[in-house]
Amino acid sequence: MPVLHDDDRDPLDDRIRELAREVNAPPATPREEMWQAISARRQAQPRRAPRPRWVPWAAAAAAVLAVGIGIGRMSVPESNRPTTPATSVADAPRVNPTAYRLAAEEHLAQSEAFLTLFRASLERPGDHRLASATARQLLAGNRLLLDSPAARDEATRRLLEDLELVLAEIAQLSPGSPAQDLDLIRDGIERGDVLSRLRQAVPTGTVPNHGAL
Amino acid sequence: MNDRELIGRVLAGDPGAERALYDAHVDRVFRLVYRMAGDLDRAQDWVQETFIRAFDRLAGFRGESALSTWLCSIAISVSLNGLRQVRRARDREVGLDDAGPLGHQPIQADPDLRTRLGQAIEALPDGYRAVFVMHDVEGYTHDEIARALGVQTGTSKAQLFRARARLREALADFARE
Repeated sequence: MPVLHDDDRDPLDDRIRELAREVNAPPATPREEMWQAISARRQAQPRRAPRPRWVPWAAAAAAVLAVGIGIGRMSVPESNRPTTPATSVADAPRVNPTAYRLAAEEHLAQSEAFLTLFRASLERPGDHRLASATARQLLAGNRLLLDSPAARDEATRRLLEDLELVLAEIAQLSPGSPAQDLDLIRDGIERGDVLSRLRQAVPTGTVPNHGAL
Repeated sequence: MNDRELIGRVLAGDPGAERALYDAHVDRVFRLVYRMAGDLDRAQDWVQETFIRAFDRLAGFRGESALSTWLCSIAISVSLNGLRQVRRARDREVGLDDAGPLGHQPIQADPDLRTRLGQAIEALPDGYRAVFVMHDVEGYTHDEIARALGVQTGTSKAQLFRARARLREALADFARE
């Protein structure tokens, strides 16, 4: 992979960029119309109780996450680990739908194992960079599955979409992330009942290979 | 009033502050979402969904990134999910093998450069399209894009590189003219 810079441009790029700004040029923002719709939907929503503002942390359970992830990494041969996809699903050759289903089950099993470890780690302080990196890997697989025939099943698609939001939030964690970010993620996991749905979606006996973990 | 003060008032239950926050950011969010949606009705739906999710999750925002970047991350997630749903609905209607870019004729059918560029952008994989629109059209930095998409900055750069290459390829015959 070459080192990429913003000025790695073909002369045609500038023309494309200028023209692209005229393509799908946005009209004036329909502020009032959208605000009224937002207000109506929010008024129809039940109000949620405020979350606790701070959860005390201790080092041990962060180590659980780090060790769990580390064990996963060490237990998988290098050749079995997934790599970041270089092309999109749209570019991929056609594959038997069963393969997508099995890939989805494996991905959901990995995600369930990861979220279980991650949720346990939330009770303790720690550096979430490793979790963030793992979430990014799972997120990439999740997005590919959402674009695949595996997502034609309505329940699977909804689960993958909810999982995407949770993984995206974990992926954005940094060493200085405030406790409320973690509360938000926990809330996202619990509100969507994501872990329970993952466990239901994973057939008994499916053991994640820890590729992303 | 800065974003932090505004957020504090929203969380305290001030409805005027919700509107003020919306007014402060809706134009930027709408521009981005419209560029992704290419359709006013869809763009309005997705912008509404973005702000509803943002208000629901505002208590978790502590200002590590700009509020505008955080809103953008929600907007782009909503848009990508929306594009998938649109594509699935379209695929059900026309069959996977016949599917072209959303709402357009095949690229070869129209010689106009702008039209072809629009089609080529819509034909990009969603990730490439999001990065191209955000960086080259709406002027987001790679750092902002990386935060919004939950990817590394290098991934954003790589996807922009590939998106530009695909667009150049799609418009290659115009470049020779």
